[in-house]
Amino acid sequence: MPEWLLKDENYVPQGDKDTFINKSILSLLGVLSRIRAQGGYKTDRLAVNPTLKVGFTVLLVVLLSISRSFAFVIFINVYLLAALCLLKGEEILKILKTSFAVAAFTFIILLPSVFWGNYYSICMITPKVFATVTAVNMLSHSTKWNAITGAVKSFFVPDIFILVLDITIKYIFLLGEFSLNMLYSLKLRSVGKNGDKYTSLSGVAGTMFIKSKEMAEDMYSAMECRGFTGEYRRYQKIKFTFADFLYIMIHMAIIFVFIYLERA
Amino acid sequence: MHIPDNYLSPSTCAVVGAAMVPVWAVAVNKVKKEITKAKMPLLGVGAAFSFLIMMFNVPLPGGTTGHAVGGTLLAILLGPWSACISLTIALLLQALLFGDGGILAFGANAFNMAFVLPFVGYFIYKFIKDRVKSEKGEYLGIALGSYFGINAAALLAAIEFGIQPLLFKNAAGQPLYCPYPLSVSIPAMVIPHLLVAGFVEVLFTVAIVAFIKRVSPGILYEGAKQKTRPLYGLIAALICLSPLGLLATGTAWGEWGSDEIAQVVSGGKALGFTPQGMKNGFSFESLIPDYAVKGLPDVAGYILSAVAGAAVLILLFKIIGSVKKNKTENISG
Repeated sequence: MPEWLLKDENYVPQGDKDTFINKSILSLLGVLSRIRAQGGYKTDRLAVNPTLKVGFTVLLVVLLSISRSFAFVIFINVYLLAALCLLKGEEILKILKTSFAVAAFTFIILLPSVFWGNYYSICMITPKVFATVTAVNMLSHSTKWNAITGAVKSFFVPDIFILVLDITIKYIFLLGEFSLNMLYSLKLRSVGKNGDKYTSLSGVAGTMFIKSKEMAEDMYSAMECRGFTGEYRRYQKIKFTFADFLYIMIHMAIIFVFIYLERA
Repeated sequence: MHIPDNYLSPSTCAVVGAAMVPVWAVAVNKVKKEITKAKMPLLGVGAAFSFLIMMFNVPLPGGTTGHAVGGTLLAILLGPWSACISLTIALLLQALLFGDGGILAFGANAFNMAFVLPFVGYFIYKFIKDRVKSEKGEYLGIALGSYFGINAAALLAAIEFGIQPLLFKNAAGQPLYCPYPLSVSIPAMVIPHLLVAGFVEVLFTVAIVAFIKRVSPGILYEGAKQKTRPLYGLIAALICLSPLGLLATGTAWGEWGSDEIAQVVSGGKALGFTPQGMKNGFSFESLIPDYAVKGLPDVAGYILSAVAGAAVLILLFKIIGSVKKNKTENISG
């Protein structure tokens, strides 16, 4: 038995700061888990045709931004709160958290204008921002992403945009997993104080870039092999349900209220 | 029955508010322990019921208006402690968002309507139900409980109004806050409630309990089937009917604005002055004052307020329910 094996070792690794790696890992995990959770979304709540949802959400945002009537803004906010009641508690919490955070930020940004006597913008823009963020978040929380890309197709968006959007959403997930693994390995291999940790980050980014290029090429050829010509077609029967009808009626009412309140 | 700001002296508000603090503490504890996460949204539905019922103003003898509260209803559906929480939140929303009931007087309003009302109503209901064991007995309990519950609350509000001129006067002997002594306030508050508002409360309570018994008995009895969809339907119906509350035009007794009070006639003569404490008292600008949105017709504003109130209350308790769920998961996992 060699002598060095019998000797007691007491190597204590030097402390190192891991906060930045930990933070990157956490934020990556946050994005990934959101995308993964999308797979589990049930569509039985707000089961409205996604095309209608996307279309009317855009319309709502446009109406909100051009409206000059405070009553209309309040009306839309009340409508959105009532619609929010149909979602689950966790989703409501997530949506409202974002909305309140953004509205509070807007409020603070606009606060100086109040000191100069301009109450109009703070009274109008804060609730408008609140309503817009709530509407868009409700769309994203109650609709799967592939349903949204499908809906975009119905609005005559060129196929190349849909291709890019589709691949991006899928690849955010895949590349996220890769970079997560690279960050983990960087963390595991840095025993003690590792001064090169920050320089390794450019390595992570570079590898990601090469990887994404390879994967994109591979996928595109695989798609071509399976007969993809760059054209998207929808094979979906359009079913017109009672929920769709209700949804259209509500938005007709909103447009009517908008015209009624803005004509003055 | 919503006491506005400046009708009670700040010291009265502080005393009654302080009395409410231990009640709230016990109620929060009880609700945390006893209400499951699945039942939490029901508290929101209850609060929304009460909020909407309070929007149905009825004309009362003497040219004033009043409304039912639905406190006993919530106590029967959810238990008195949960009813206390639901009613408190509904009252808070009314004070902050709609300017109905004062901010300083919030403690007093909560004491009358969120504590005394559901507890008196619930114990009368329980007392009768335990002694008369039949369906009729139960409905008798519901009717008497809700009738005496709301009248107890009205009596307390009248006493709070009535002691003001005895306790707080300026140098000239004019009352600083509410100008009416007990001899005026008690008959003015209690008689209309005994004659009309009490029966409206009974009507709402019995009708809604009967409705829930038929469509979703699981809310009242453990193990029976429970459906929440009809409840939301009922809320929608109440919202659509809420503009009926606008038909009663007068101001409720003790809820005049500081510009109105000098003209109020009582016992054949107008008051003729505005009490000092009201002229330059605390004032608070709510988002949708008196349930009216500027630029919208009254009816539309009223419906919008009803939707907003009900939605906020349901959302709030749904969120509380979801947060509660996470907590129990952490403990078990």
